[in-house]
Amino acid sequence: MKFALLSNVNIESVARRVGRHQPYLAQGYGAWTQELADPASAMWSFGPSAVFLIVDGAELLRGQQGLDSALGEIEGHLAWIDGASERSPGIKFFVSTVDVPAQAPRALKHGHLERRLEQHWQAGIFRVSANRANVYVFDLKALVEDVGRAQFYSNKRWYLGGLRFSLTGEKLIAKELERILYAQIVARKKCLLLDLDNTLWGGIIGEDGLEGIQLSESGEGARYKDFQRCIRRLGEMGVILGIVSKNNQGDVFEVFENHEHMVLKKEDFAILKIDWSPKAQSIAEVAQDLDIGLDSLVFIDDNPVERESVHSALPEVTVPEFPADTCELSAFLEQIYKDCFFTLESTEEDRKRTEAYLSNAKRAAERSATVSIDEFLAALRTKISLGKLRDDDVPRAAQLTQKTNQFNLTTRRYTEQQVQAFRTTPGMAVFIASVADKYGDNGKVFLGIVRKLSADTAELDTFLMSCRVMGRFIEDQILDQLVKELRADGISKLRVHLIPSKKNAPARGFIERLSGGRLLSNDASGTMTWEFDIAQTSPVSRSPYAELLTR
Amino acid sequence: MEQKLIAVVAAALGVPTSGLELETTADEVEAWDSMGHINVISEIEAEFGVSIPIEKIADIHRIRDFLPYLGEKA
Repeated sequence: MKFALLSNVNIESVARRVGRHQPYLAQGYGAWTQELADPASAMWSFGPSAVFLIVDGAELLRGQQGLDSALGEIEGHLAWIDGASERSPGIKFFVSTVDVPAQAPRALKHGHLERRLEQHWQAGIFRVSANRANVYVFDLKALVEDVGRAQFYSNKRWYLGGLRFSLTGEKLIAKELERILYAQIVARKKCLLLDLDNTLWGGIIGEDGLEGIQLSESGEGARYKDFQRCIRRLGEMGVILGIVSKNNQGDVFEVFENHEHMVLKKEDFAILKIDWSPKAQSIAEVAQDLDIGLDSLVFIDDNPVERESVHSALPEVTVPEFPADTCELSAFLEQIYKDCFFTLESTEEDRKRTEAYLSNAKRAAERSATVSIDEFLAALRTKISLGKLRDDDVPRAAQLTQKTNQFNLTTRRYTEQQVQAFRTTPGMAVFIASVADKYGDNGKVFLGIVRKLSADTAELDTFLMSCRVMGRFIEDQILDQLVKELRADGISKLRVHLIPSKKNAPARGFIERLSGGRLLSNDASGTMTWEFDIAQTSPVSRSPYAELLTR
Repeated sequence: MEQKLIAVVAAALGVPTSGLELETTADEVEAWDSMGHINVISEIEAEFGVSIPIEKIADIHRIRDFLPYLGEKA
């Protein structure tokens, strides 16, 4: 792409930092206005499709005596820019804001000259930009403000070679130039997919409930509300928004309907994938439903395992690192905007795009994409450490029964005393497991309580697992191991209970995966009991993938 | 430290390190013109956390000449 870079200071060092395409350069005092004003100048015959004007504030006002003369100088420049952009409507002009550092010591009473001149210039170019569709503002002043003048300028470079900007300053200008250039030749991403728990709000809705999640106008929960505001703004600019979350739909819809601080509404999303299927699969479906490429999707999730799963199964999808400090969520989204969704202007058409995609998605037939979840799981290097409950595990075991809602077959709450009693009751066994993977140790996340009912029959009193490691078939492998141990103990029949609750749909999904069960009872309260013959076979059909250590 | 110096000079000039050694002079590298020289100085100052006095800069002709200014931080 051909572009011209004009400046009132030496800009060649910046130009060297911009990509492969060398621009037409005009630099130095007077040179740039001459190029603009003279229709026969070499710049026009170069044939740029974009012209950048990088205006150094100190240089712009050098030698000006007094306010009126400086304001006149500014008006003159603005008139050249306006005239040039009017003559060449097919060329895009990017005109910088200016930063004017104080030029000399001045008494406080007379100290505001630079500010007034700055404001006059900024107001002038915004006026030109508003009047001319082909004129845009290049916000140089914002770049200075982000790092501060001490970082942005370099006196040594200025005195040595007339280079106004420091290395930092040059790199920032070059990056902004590239972003604007690429925005004109590279298609931006189309769709932003978001996780919910610990992403749009703090905490886990399935565990913490409507009152327990962090989301508020002020205080700690405000970081999520501010994040939602930024996301809504992206939606207004034509970015399609979607949710990909492992959750119960009912819990999520309750937040949408009843949480007063939800900025984002259900209608803001063209896509709602709220279920327990692997996220890579859901995302592949999103691309099909919306009929867009996987490379148009950006996926935000706080959980590194989920990010890795999507990245490894669908490498075309952009999966940014999530900020370690959630106070930086808004800055994080600003960066995603710049990297993925940056646009010179958002049109009415853009804004309507979400609506159009929404109806597309509704029409799309139910299709399911097959994605290799197995490869992803193998790459996690999961280690399960399973053993009988020890004395010092008792507090954690009780806590797991108290707090676990989603993957919990019976949701029976026990105190430490009760758990301690189970450990020592003949015919009962309590198992606990910790899970580690290449991202670290998740700690003790599984609890199982087995009760012997007769010489050959046992039941699962409790079978639960923290949501931290859900969706990775860890429960399958643990049950398979428990079955082996029970069989070695002479047990041939295993009874499994499901007490349905508002939250434990994932537990139901697990039972539906098991094979060979015979429904024994289905009582009025909703409790269901299956019996599995484990003498020869295991109810678990998934082959194990994690390393399992028993103690 | 010498390897880091060569790497920083190469990065500042946008050339491969393989063509540079301590005795390489500015005249031998096309990108090491007067603007390249300023960029080399800025990169070295930033990377090594030092300041090279403006009076001394005209005396620097080869990569080795930067060594006295790198200080203990390198």
